[in-house]
Amino acid sequence: MLKTVVNAILGLGPAVFLPMLMLVIGLIIRMKLKKAFAAALTLGVAFLGMNVIIEFMFSAIGPASQAFVENTGLQLNALDLGWTPLASIAWAWPYAFLLFPLQIAINIVMLAFGWTNCLNVDMWNVWNKILTAVIVVGVTGSLPAAFVVAAIEVVFELKNADLTQKQIYKITGIPGIALPHSMALTAILLAPINRVLDFIPGLKNNNINAAKVKEKIGIFGENHVMGFIVGMLIAIFAKYDVKGILTLGVQSATALTLFPMVAKLFMQALAPISDAAGEFMKRRFPGREFYIGLDWPFLAGQPEIWVSLIILVPVILAMAVILPGNGVLPFGGILNICFAGAAIIVTGGDLIRMIILGVISTPLYLYVATSFAPMITDLAKSVGTIEIPAGQLITWNGLEAPGFRWIFAQAADVINGNFMGIVFLIGYLGICVWYYKYMSKREAEVIEELGLGA
Amino acid sequence: MKRIITACASGVATSQTVASKVKSLLEEKGIMADVEAVDIKSLDAYIKNCDVYISITPAGNSDYGIPVISGIPFLTGVGRDEALQQIIDIIKK
Repeated sequence: MLKTVVNAILGLGPAVFLPMLMLVIGLIIRMKLKKAFAAALTLGVAFLGMNVIIEFMFSAIGPASQAFVENTGLQLNALDLGWTPLASIAWAWPYAFLLFPLQIAINIVMLAFGWTNCLNVDMWNVWNKILTAVIVVGVTGSLPAAFVVAAIEVVFELKNADLTQKQIYKITGIPGIALPHSMALTAILLAPINRVLDFIPGLKNNNINAAKVKEKIGIFGENHVMGFIVGMLIAIFAKYDVKGILTLGVQSATALTLFPMVAKLFMQALAPISDAAGEFMKRRFPGREFYIGLDWPFLAGQPEIWVSLIILVPVILAMAVILPGNGVLPFGGILNICFAGAAIIVTGGDLIRMIILGVISTPLYLYVATSFAPMITDLAKSVGTIEIPAGQLITWNGLEAPGFRWIFAQAADVINGNFMGIVFLIGYLGICVWYYKYMSKREAEVIEELGLGA
Repeated sequence: MKRIITACASGVATSQTVASKVKSLLEEKGIMADVEAVDIKSLDAYIKNCDVYISITPAGNSDYGIPVISGIPFLTGVGRDEALQQIIDIIKK
């Protein structure tokens, strides 16, 4: 009986059931009916709005990317949409909202036992855990496994926030905050490489004025400009004529400009819930000193981030073409922000090292995006009303924590008798132990350097 | 109507959180204002017609010719009332 009702509601499609769910949650957290209704409807608008742009994008770039594949012989069948459409697809997963209580409960327990000092009020990035869960379901077929891995991710994020808090303070100068974002988990894999770079002469104490460089090349970081360029490049390889090349350039610029504009509607709709959840958590621990965990953009004022990302664009394009087995056609995620968030912490904002780490880690991001493309495409098909052309896949180059996600998804597949992932997991946990010691030492150094000790 | 602008890496999540928060706090005080969240990479194009910039990136702010207020208090809750008062003082001028 209950199952019939649930299925009937889910059968209405996410554009209808998401607002309904949101309205109920809004009333539970005691929003006024008028506001709860407006917020709920905004969520439906956000979801359908995103579908409209994705469809527009496929009608423009879909044929071009197929012509690209035919003309070049490169099997780049997985179109990289960037993160905003993926967030839309993830929120439409039927179990998505269960990740809110999961993250909040784990955080409260860890704070209560003193296992972390980070109070994460960033409820937006609950969607990172949703995406992880979706991927794990895709790999293992198991819902419980998905929630277990998502729970482990929450623990890793909070511990990592503890391990980087002082270093982030040194970079940003903002007191009292930490970064429990899953993108920072990539620091676990970048840190050993950064340590090796210590032994290369000439890489110490280089000082390049990144702000000056950013003034010169910053325009390439703007969504429409980057979309225009990448769109034209795809059209050129697809052997379009001049009119076709310019048209696809403007169409791509349109898609990449509109994606964040619509994605903003998700945040507008979710803001009251996220607010209420944050207040709820703060009330649990009155008077206790801890760091408030925030989303990553407080780092976005650092010019090194944008300079390194723009410089890495041609590297990503070249590697997408050269790397054997890569299936990703880089587009929406061509500015790999999730790499930069981790890299700036590991290198302490050293531009040259960030670029070197970026070149080294680009294959990781591309291969993981290739590997997860079928699961992401399946989810988009099952939740969305989006028509994805047959043979076409969608993905996100530069998804957060590619190492963590791939390894844990494979390891979780042990429930299906697949033991390969466990081997990777053991190696990964070994690196984690080293990382824990390395970062603890660096935190202590920053405390001494800035005189933060008691 | 006074225009307030916030910015983050994509103009989607953090800046919109701050924008929604500031807008509703101002509404509670009976003050109507436009609060818009934009992409920090395109900030220069948007900031011209605004009265206040709420920045969540304390480092690397150029001189925009308009008052800049820290947006971090609206995310952490620490010092929020003071930051809100600063904004009110500016837009009431």
